[in-house]
Amino acid sequence: MRFLPLNSAQRQGLLGSAMLSLLILAIVGAYYLWGESYQARMLYAVFVNLLVVVGLQVFTGNANITSFSHAAFMGIAAYVAAICVTPIAMKAISLPDAPWGLNAFELSALSAALLALLITGLLGLATGLFMARLTGVGVTIVSIAILVIVHSIFLYRTDIFKGNQALFGIPKIFDLPQITALVIVAIFIARAFRESAVGLKLRASADDEVGARAMGVDVFKVRLIAWVVGTLFFATAGIAYAFYLGTISARPFYFNFVFLTVSMLILGGLRSVTGAVFGTLMISMGLELVRWLETGPVISGIKFPEVLGLSGLLLGVVIVAVMAFLPRGIMGNREIEDFVKRKR
Amino acid sequence: MDYFIQQSLNALSFGAEYALIALGLAIVFSIMGLVNFAHGEVIAFGGYSMVIMGTLLTNNPFVLMVGVVAACVFASVALERVAFRTVRGADLTTGLLTAFGVSIILQNLFLLFGSPRPIAATQFIFLDRTIAIGSIRVSSLQIYETVTTLLAILALMFFLRRTTLGMAMRAAALDFEMVRLCGVRANRVIAGAFAISGLLAGLACIFIMARRGSVQPHMGFDPVLVAFVACVIGGFGSLPGAVLGGFLLGITEVAVLILLPQSAGGLAHAVVFALVALVLIWRPDGILSPAREKGDKI
Repeated sequence: MRFLPLNSAQRQGLLGSAMLSLLILAIVGAYYLWGESYQARMLYAVFVNLLVVVGLQVFTGNANITSFSHAAFMGIAAYVAAICVTPIAMKAISLPDAPWGLNAFELSALSAALLALLITGLLGLATGLFMARLTGVGVTIVSIAILVIVHSIFLYRTDIFKGNQALFGIPKIFDLPQITALVIVAIFIARAFRESAVGLKLRASADDEVGARAMGVDVFKVRLIAWVVGTLFFATAGIAYAFYLGTISARPFYFNFVFLTVSMLILGGLRSVTGAVFGTLMISMGLELVRWLETGPVISGIKFPEVLGLSGLLLGVVIVAVMAFLPRGIMGNREIEDFVKRKR
Repeated sequence: MDYFIQQSLNALSFGAEYALIALGLAIVFSIMGLVNFAHGEVIAFGGYSMVIMGTLLTNNPFVLMVGVVAACVFASVALERVAFRTVRGADLTTGLLTAFGVSIILQNLFLLFGSPRPIAATQFIFLDRTIAIGSIRVSSLQIYETVTTLLAILALMFFLRRTTLGMAMRAAALDFEMVRLCGVRANRVIAGAFAISGLLAGLACIFIMARRGSVQPHMGFDPVLVAFVACVIGGFGSLPGAVLGGFLLGITEVAVLILLPQSAGGLAHAVVFALVALVLIWRPDGILSPAREKGDKI
């Protein structure tokens, strides 16, 4: 009685994604039951990060090649979506001297999002054609180059992007239910990608590139596909970011964000989608705790001093410690359903 | 003509600074395959120790210079011992991410114990004077920088070719296992590489401090990002490649600054990085690295 032509790994993937979705739903449910309203913003930010980290897992995780350009793609999508969806009347104030009639049109939220996905996807394809050819450090360098180039353009064209100032007046389109749905869909897609033929070939080429080529894997093609799929995840995250916050600026789309998301991924374990989810949740919780410590709280009558830089310190320590003691992350090659599966 | 000479000197001194830093990255990479992103924080450590020594001990700039170099060597060797020894022999991604982690830790430590704002340390400013040679007015710092870099390269060449440890290091870049089988201690070779890398960082730190006159937690990040790119252009792990890449980048940066209109000055960085990406696409392993079949080093 099999309706879907799936192999056993893919069926397990469905089970695993369903379990992760339950976890996400449980978190959201807990918020609706007991959460304070300010925590909605926090939870939304965590879910945007989760979209990015799951997208990172698609390329960086499966191909085992570190890339740092995701913040750039996220930024591009966020700006495209924001510029398209902001009403004309608002753009007359926020972007008074934008060229090419950018402030003389507006799109519906759906078409703005689709346009942002399309543009980012095309950029992903264009860069991917080069990225997939490079190996090892080359990819990392070119991804840094992309990040720096995009950031310089954001800062330079202040007439379109407002640089470090905020581009404001974006209508609030998304809220917690929408991002929750997006995250769940993203988890299913990332897991399906990992277990698909392309994902399997990509993981094989990460383990042994020469061997994979010898078995007939077109490494260029699978890397290219993963790269473009990854960019679409980042684009989605960028759109979700712009559609909630109402203002965006160039600053969050740079190295700090890159470090944050990369450390989330490696804490959980590069190779597994479950790892990406766990890593994001753990680092987000840890950071909230540390941010609270940073402000100098009063615990049982003792006033703790204000310490700046503690959260950054924590990120660095997590990266170094994971690399030294747990080089494959918490999850390693395992996924969530491996915990409940019967041992054979 | 004067303008041309001035700009060439500009390019040379930019290039010299990048080459110094790039050499420090390349020598570590060639031996243990580690992309040492924490190199910039070694430079920043030199800057901070200069502030401390300047307030506690002496204002004599020459003593401070020795102190800065010593501090950088110490920091570099200590980092190897504490952080990088555990990931020795791990794959490239692991090493790269570890180095990133170390870099973040150090930056935040500077933030915690120093200040997010710049701290003034002006003892080396005297190096930067305008002097007139004939009709050309040049900055003395640029001359010092270029000459020091050339001397450092010569000294490094002598060390790598004529001393036992140097030869062991060159051999280790080719085949580390074989060097160890010949009875050379692995730890000594790697510590040596990090010490040299720290020494070069110390020299770079002196010049950076002479130009900036202040320290900041993130001061090392941008120069190392550029030097990293220089390494890649030249061919990662190749020492002549690092020097070539450094000077090429210096020339490109000055050329871009001259050729682009004033208003586009903010795009200089973007243009340089775009050129780098193009070079990498043309020669994925860098200009000076021989074509290597995949699988050679497996």
